This record gives sequence, C-alpha cells and structure tokens, in this order.
Amino acid sequence: MTDVSLAAVLPLLGAFVLPLTRHGILRPLGPVIGPILLAACALILFAAWSAYDVPYAVALGSFAPPMGITFYIDDLALLFALAVPLTTLVLWPGESDPAATGRQSLTLLLAGSLTGLALSGDLFNVYVFYELAAVASYGLVVGDGRSPAYVAAFRYLMISALGSVVGLIGIAIIYFKTGTLNLADLSTLSGELADPQGMAAFAMLVIGFGVKAEAFPVNGWVPEVYGAVGKRVAALLAGLASKLAVLVIVRILILVFPHDETRQLLLVLGILGVAVGELAAWQARDIPRMLAWSSIGQLGVVFVAFSLPGKAGVIAGVTVAMHHLVVKSALFLLADRWDRAIESLKGAASTSRIGAALFVLFSLSLLGLPPLPGFWSKFLVLGGLAASASPLQLLAMGTILAGTVIEGAYLLRVVVTFYARPDAAVRVPGQRAGNLLGAGLFALVLLTAAVMINPLWQGLEVLAERAVDTNGYQHTVLGDREAGR
Amino acid sequence: MRNLATLLFLGGLVFLLAAITGTLPFGHPPMLVGQAIQQAAKPEVGAANVVTAVVLGYRGLDTLGELAILFAAATAGGLVLGGVQAKGRNNALPAAGFVLRAGTDVLFPLLLIAGLYVVIHGHLTPGGGFQGGVILAAAFFLPLLARPSESLSHIWLSVIEGLAGTAFIALGLGALYNGDAFLTPLFDKGMFGELVSSGSLPLLYLAVGLKVGAELSSLLMRLAHDDGAAS
Repeated sequence: MTDVSLAAVLPLLGAFVLPLTRHGILRPLGPVIGPILLAACALILFAAWSAYDVPYAVALGSFAPPMGITFYIDDLALLFALAVPLTTLVLWPGESDPAATGRQSLTLLLAGSLTGLALSGDLFNVYVFYELAAVASYGLVVGDGRSPAYVAAFRYLMISALGSVVGLIGIAIIYFKTGTLNLADLSTLSGELADPQGMAAFAMLVIGFGVKAEAFPVNGWVPEVYGAVGKRVAALLAGLASKLAVLVIVRILILVFPHDETRQLLLVLGILGVAVGELAAWQARDIPRMLAWSSIGQLGVVFVAFSLPGKAGVIAGVTVAMHHLVVKSALFLLADRWDRAIESLKGAASTSRIGAALFVLFSLSLLGLPPLPGFWSKFLVLGGLAASASPLQLLAMGTILAGTVIEGAYLLRVVVTFYARPDAAVRVPGQRAGNLLGAGLFALVLLTAAVMINPLWQGLEVLAERAVDTNGYQHTVLGDREAGR
Repeated sequence: MRNLATLLFLGGLVFLLAAITGTLPFGHPPMLVGQAIQQAAKPEVGAANVVTAVVLGYRGLDTLGELAILFAAATAGGLVLGGVQAKGRNNALPAAGFVLRAGTDVLFPLLLIAGLYVVIHGHLTPGGGFQGGVILAAAFFLPLLARPSESLSHIWLSVIEGLAGTAFIALGLGALYNGDAFLTPLFDKGMFGELVSSGSLPLLYLAVGLKVGAELSSLLMRLAHDDGAAS
C-alpha cells in the first residue's frame, strides 16, 4: 500500500542520504537521487488523487486523532502538494560543484517540508514543517556564497525568527484556550476562539506564517533576498514556498476562524500588499527587484481573493495562487541571466528571441490579458469583490485595478526595452538552455490551462466545495462520534 | 527615530501579550488532549516515560521534523563555513596544556557512557536522544580542544549522521510494510519499565541520539577549524 505521507517523508530521506554519496561507491547515485525521489513523490500524490476516495485522513503512527498527528487529504491539499515536487523538479539545482550536495539536500528538505505543510492537519506539525522550510531556505539563500546574499540572509533570518516566535505565541494561546492542536478538533471548538484573545491569536499566526507568504508588514526581506540569491532559489521561494504558507493561513481561516473580522484582516493586509508591492515594483530599477516587489503585490491579490467568504473565495484564491506560482517561477528563471538594471538590457530580444517572447507571454498573463489564465484569475477576484461590495471590498477592487495599470506600465517598459535597438557598447547575455527549457515547461502549463479552462473550472468547483466543508473535515478526521460535540 | 519606533513596537507587543496572558485562565487550562494521552499512553505505547511516548509515539513526525531542522541548520552552517575550511587545517595550533589533556582522557569515557546511558534509557527515565546526543557531542569535542591537530574524520561523522537519519525513517517505513501508517511503533511492547520494552521506541531514540551527536560534533569541529583558520 502506498501511503500519501511518503510524499512528505521521501524527500527528507533523500536529504539524509545525499551526503553519503559524496564519497565511495555510492558516488554515481548522487546526482540522480533527488530527481528520482521527487518524481516518485509526484507519482504517489497523483495516484492518491486518482485512486482514493478523497477526502480521507491518515492517522500517523496509527494514533487516533486528536492525540496523534493527522494528515488530511482533499483536492486542495493534493493540488498544492503535487505542485511541490513538480515545481522543484523544474527548478532542481543540477550543478556539480563541491557545495552542490549541500544545496540539493536543502532543496529536498524544502520540498519535503512544503509537502508536509500542504497535507498536515495538526497546528503544531504545521509549525514544525514551516520551521524546516524556513531553515532550509536560509541555507539555500547563503548557499551561493555571494556576500550580498549573506547580508540578505541575515536580515531574512531576523525577520523570520521574529515571525516564528510571534506565530508560536499564537499557537500557544490557541492551545491554552482549547487544549488541542488538531485542526479538526479545533474547528469543533471554534466558538471558544471567537473572542478578542482568539482574534489576537489569529493575527499572530498571520504574522508568523505571513513572513514566508510575503504578507504586508513582514515582507521587508523579499526584494533584498530575491535580488541577491540565485534565481532558481528565488523562483522556489517566490513561486512555491509563499503559496504553501498562504495555504496554511487559509486552512486555519476556514476551519478555526470562520469570522468576518478575520477575513477583514486578510483583506486589509492584501490591499496594503497590492498597493506597496506594485508601487515599489514601478520604482525598481533592476529585473529581480521588480519581480520581487511584483510578487508582493500578487500575493496581496491572493490574500484579497481568499478573504472572500465561502466557495467563491477558495476558487478565486486557488486560481490566483496557482497562476502566480507558474508565472513568477518562470519569470525568475528568465531573470537568471538578465539579473541586472533594466536599461542595460536593451535589445535582449535580439540575443535571445525565445527568452524575450516567453517574458512577454508571462507578462501579459500577469497583467490579465484574455484568454490567458491571468485574466480569469483577476476576473474571479474582481467579480467576487463586486458581488458583496462592502466599502473595504470596493477599495480592494480599486486598488487591484490601479495596481494592474501600474503593473502594465512597468512590465511593458521592460518589454519595450527588450525589443529596442541594441546598444553597441553593452552585450546582453543570452539565455541558458536549461532555464529556457524550464520556462518553456511553465509556458506549456499556462497555455494548456488557457485551453482547458472548462474542465479546470469544474475541477475547481469540486475542490472548493470540499475545501469549505468544515463538517466534512470534522467527520473525516474524528469520525461521527466526536464531531457532534 | 528608528530606535524610538523599535521601542514603541516592543512596548506595544509586551502590552498586547500582557493583556492576553492577563485574561487567560492560568493554572487550570483545558487539558483535552493532554489528559487523554496521560490515560492512553501506558497501554498504547508502553513507555514508562510519558514524555517519550509523546515525542516518539504520538508526535513522532514532529520529532522527524526537528531532526531535519537540525540537519538543515548543520548543512547550511557547512555551506557558510565550507569555503573558509577549504583553505587549510590548523595543524599549526599546539596541543593544550597537561591539565586539559589529562582531564580529557579521564572525562572522555565517562561522558561517552553517560551519553549512551541517557540515550538508551530515554523511554524509561527523563532524557533521551536529544539530550544524550548533546552529551556524546561534548565527549567528542573535548579531544578536539586538547589536541587540535588530531581530529575526527568528517567522512565518518557524515556516514553516522546519514545512516542514523535513514534508520529513523526506515523504522517508520517498516510500519507501512505491515500495513499500518507511517511511524507506527513496531515490535512487542514488552514488560512496562524494562530496558527492552515499548517496541521500537528505544531504537528510534538511539537513531536520534547518534544523529544529534554526529551533527553537533561536526558542526563544532567546523567552527573550531574556522576559528583556527581565521586567527
């Protein structure tokens, strides 16, 4: 029997084994262990999605919840979990210098922990996986050995450590008030958390998990880190890790804090994120920082989307998050060789025609040009906001629309520079074949999604219906006896 | 200005925490899961030390996560210090004085025994893999202080580390082979309170102890060499 929990465990196993392949007879295994295990994880998750009757729960260690740790497997969890090994495979650090084993170990640890975040149904287990993701990403940031990365990593470490402490206090308050950490158990007790202390706990969790999700007040590390590190790592953190952190916040929001106040908090943070991110991206002078700030703006849209109540919020949020995962990872891959000031990239299209064309495609989807998926994601968010239209939601609508205009200004500025007459004095580097291949794969996903919009929509409807079904979650995890409490 | 802002922020945070903790019912929190585990741990897990039953049984996956966090920190440390270390070992450093060398010779076996005892009795008495592993690391770090030129082999440390981590996961995967969920304790529970009891928990703690010990030793060694190379 293949167990879904393997998808979170196998990458950890790979990370432990990798250092052994540095010497001796295991040496030829070194470069292939990571990709093989990640492919195996993807297969396990895919098999689980198609074979089992989702949703179902796995009690790790065979200890009945709420005493043991539970993995909860539904479409939402499987979608995000499946994105982890697939994206990591495309962004795999395939170098062969002496430090590569360390970097590959850390990448595997990051992949394992992010899969765990998607599947786990236990608040403290989520925190452990989140910490693992954080520590692995510090390592990946300093892994390049460039000195600006050290400075950036230190700032990141400080902000992230502060966030972790605040998040842990939030978990402690919840545990103190309810005496349990299991999300299903907590959702039966959510009435006890509907007071100011509970709200404070939720705000602290949002701050804590918001560090990786690039939420508004704790995202100061983002431009510095993405500017200084290798762009594959930046793509992993901006594209993938941020989405899993968002998923954790959304799960807690839906199950434990389904109140108007908590949704409003996400909405306000989202609006601020959009405004700050897009304005700063407009000011940015080089490509990585521009992409970093734009990523903060896009995650602001994700927060706004998930703040919509009920099914509509989940559908809009998942669409925006998945779209941003594909597009921003690809854009960072393309920025790997164009890691410099925008003015010095004049005529990049003449050195790499495909690279520039892909950049245009992803930029247009980010802007929301129909029929690209970016259009549908923005359409869903704006439609959802217009449907309930409280003053704050109207403000969010205005901010997102204004943000799109600013986004258009700075993305098209880059595109125009790419297609300008090349400067004779400055030679723009061409794209690496590996990066082009990765970006091409992401483009394929994007275009497939654009064509298959109808089946995707039906799948999303089912996914959202199960994701907001709090009673179903309680029954699946705890059985019928406990859920009636 | 910046300091003032920091001060204001900190003051606000402290006030918030004080306000929250002031209203929480200290002394008699709801022990929903805690009470249930205290009643169920003895028959379900069979470990005399309830803390171990929680750490390796009920929340075994968290422990695996903690091991991985430690491993990630050690790997990241290796990446940072790796560049410095490649420049050369500090063979030039002289051996320490007589007192430290003799003291190390006396202490090394004692620390080794104490560390292993704490690891192996983790399921019976307070202690366990993490605490015992740190004592083991201290045992192997002392010789490094006394005789900086003779040091442990990095290769062996990384082999122990890798095998111990693999063993922990393999014990978890063994349960899958039986058709149970990941990390279900294996084997018979045995007599409550005996050294050989509570199934595979002692083996898990042995893996934890070896991994923590090897990891901390290699991290301390890297730091010591880095220090020597820089001075």
